[in-house]
Amino acid sequence: MSAVVVSRHRPANNPFASHRVEGLAFRFKGIGPEALRRRLDDLGGRAAIVGPEGSGKTTLLEELARTLPGQSVWVRLGAGCHRPWHTARTQLPSPVSTKHTVLIDGAEQLGHLGWHRFLFATRRAGRLVTTLHRSGRLPTLIECRPDHHLLRALVEELAPTEAPHLAPDLDDLFRRRNGNIRLCLRDLFDLFAGRSKPIFDPKSG
Amino acid sequence: MVLTLQTKDGGIWFKPADLVEGRASWHIDYGEEVDSIELRLFWYTSGKGSQDVGIVRVLRDDSPDPSGHRDFSIRAPEGPYSFSGKLITLSWAIELVALPSGETERLDLRIGPQPVEVDIA
Repeated sequence: MSAVVVSRHRPANNPFASHRVEGLAFRFKGIGPEALRRRLDDLGGRAAIVGPEGSGKTTLLEELARTLPGQSVWVRLGAGCHRPWHTARTQLPSPVSTKHTVLIDGAEQLGHLGWHRFLFATRRAGRLVTTLHRSGRLPTLIECRPDHHLLRALVEELAPTEAPHLAPDLDDLFRRRNGNIRLCLRDLFDLFAGRSKPIFDPKSG
Repeated sequence: MVLTLQTKDGGIWFKPADLVEGRASWHIDYGEEVDSIELRLFWYTSGKGSQDVGIVRVLRDDSPDPSGHRDFSIRAPEGPYSFSGKLITLSWAIELVALPSGETERLDLRIGPQPVEVDIA
């Protein structure tokens, strides 16, 4: 691996700052947003976006939400959520009705019982879409499978000038981070912040 | 809709407790719904991780004329100073917001004892 050297950026100007990363659009491959919406309807309006951590599930859910009719209800359960069912319930309107499209991010935080309580509480929702790391709880709407081409494309969008210099190392970074695009982009933030970055150190790993 | 913000003399550096003076102007096109115009002084962070924001002063004009302006004078906060570390930048700004659409014009400021932001990296 080559040693990558970039000039230090202040955090606000870092090309991999969170406000820039969060502004990235989901890269649809093989199926577009409208086809996805139709597929959701074919599945009875209840389905899951499945993929590993950092694969763009939340980004896709947000984009899908914009194409769906009805009133969006977001339920966000972060990793390590202390009382996931209680947290989920407080984010739901009362009552949940057919006009609501319920979008739950982080449903794996709910245990078996919590998930069934959640399904019961949202049984009258017009639509229910969740993100999951593994398929099973709801029919799979789409699987997010990031690859090193995606990482390269995102880096080219965020840092077009530096991307050619970074390219030789991106495949290795992707492999070391087990395909977690979010972590890859955080590592790149650190690189541009001038922080020590073992991921880019040829002696590490 | 056109929103414009400018400080007196065009300066963006203010020492703590200085008066931030300037003019906020707007032009609302025919048919656009604007219930009020707000001028906000706020800080925000950017960098790694989630962004934080805090609004510290709000000046509000209800039922504004379609075209108008307002001269403002806001006391700059004592702190925190504008700074950059390795992980985050804390910036100050004023923004002019048309409600309910949320259309915004922002002007970044630098608040601190020196004209450059504090570098703690």
